[in-house]
Amino acid sequence: MTPEPPRSMGALLREALPSYKAPDALRAWAQTQASSAPIAYDRPRAWRPLRRFAYAATFVVAAAIGWMGHDLVAMSRTDATARSALVSSLVDTHVRSLMAGHVTDVQSSDHHTVKPWFAGKVTFAPPVPELAARGFPLVGGRLDYVSGHTAAALVYGRGLHTINLFIWPASTSDADVPTASYNGYSLVHWTDRGLSYWAVSDAAAPELAAFERAYIAGAAQ
Amino acid sequence: MLPHLDAAYTLARYLTHDASEAEDATQEAILRAVRYFHTLRNESGARAWLLAIVRRECYGRRRKIVETVAFDEVSEHQLVDVAEQPDVAAGRRLLEQRVRVAVATLPDGLRETLILRELQQCSYEEIATITDVPIGTVMSRLSRARTRLAASLEGEVTFEEEYG
Repeated sequence: MTPEPPRSMGALLREALPSYKAPDALRAWAQTQASSAPIAYDRPRAWRPLRRFAYAATFVVAAAIGWMGHDLVAMSRTDATARSALVSSLVDTHVRSLMAGHVTDVQSSDHHTVKPWFAGKVTFAPPVPELAARGFPLVGGRLDYVSGHTAAALVYGRGLHTINLFIWPASTSDADVPTASYNGYSLVHWTDRGLSYWAVSDAAAPELAAFERAYIAGAAQ
Repeated sequence: MLPHLDAAYTLARYLTHDASEAEDATQEAILRAVRYFHTLRNESGARAWLLAIVRRECYGRRRKIVETVAFDEVSEHQLVDVAEQPDVAAGRRLLEQRVRVAVATLPDGLRETLILRELQQCSYEEIATITDVPIGTVMSRLSRARTRLAASLEGEVTFEEEYG
């Protein structure tokens, strides 16, 4: 055996000793802590513009509804209340799935494993595209129950972030407001071929928008 | 504090030798940090300040469980970490494992100083703040840690002279 050349101890230590990433559940929890801190200097910057957008969107929707007549106003008020309840319960479900360490019932990066798993558990067949090449590796899936909907939840990763994608059959009442934010979490909503999709994550809103595009493109293939 | 979450968790892993203990300790530390956030004078010192809280939390917890966890079990946790490593050339993996064991068996004062310096790239001033000792002590601990490591890895690898 030939003697190895002398090495830098610092370099060897950095090779041998891993730097750990905090677990997702801890990160999600820490984010809720940071946003309730008296001087949270990180979170608010990230979501204030989004919230402003949400206010603006609400104003536009309200103005449009006002123009459409009084009956609709009364009706959409209850819609708006129902929607904000839906948004908060989606975020609650997302956070709970991370905290309990129970993100997936079926854990696989193979869509041939995840897609059949839903058969017989829900009455629809959610598309399960593999999006690793687009930067969103499939983590798995699970069943969940959100605001009266039995939902298929697909779990995708984005760097250190977890994205929960909740899917259930679309109804006419939920086809509006494409984005929302709640407690620093971002949400994106779309409907496609009779299914209603809600993506929830602590990832930044543009990343979630990129996820929506990637998923729709992947599902169409 | 969030930008320093990984640094906090990493330090906790090396001080507790255990993933779930490290998670608990980091969580406790963040609770404390949120509660005492108003005492932080300067945001640029946020990392050192949080790491100091994590360190105190880790040592506090370990005193509580020291009677129940034998040292053998601690070593086993280290081996679990080794098994988690992706496949690399066997020789290199063996050397890296030796390094991890050598670091894990350093006395606390030397190990924390070495981790903060080499892994977290803290300045001597930051390490002095975090570990609550004078800068001179930081430097002598660092030097002793390196000498010990070189001695326990003797025959496996030779090191460049880089003390100071």
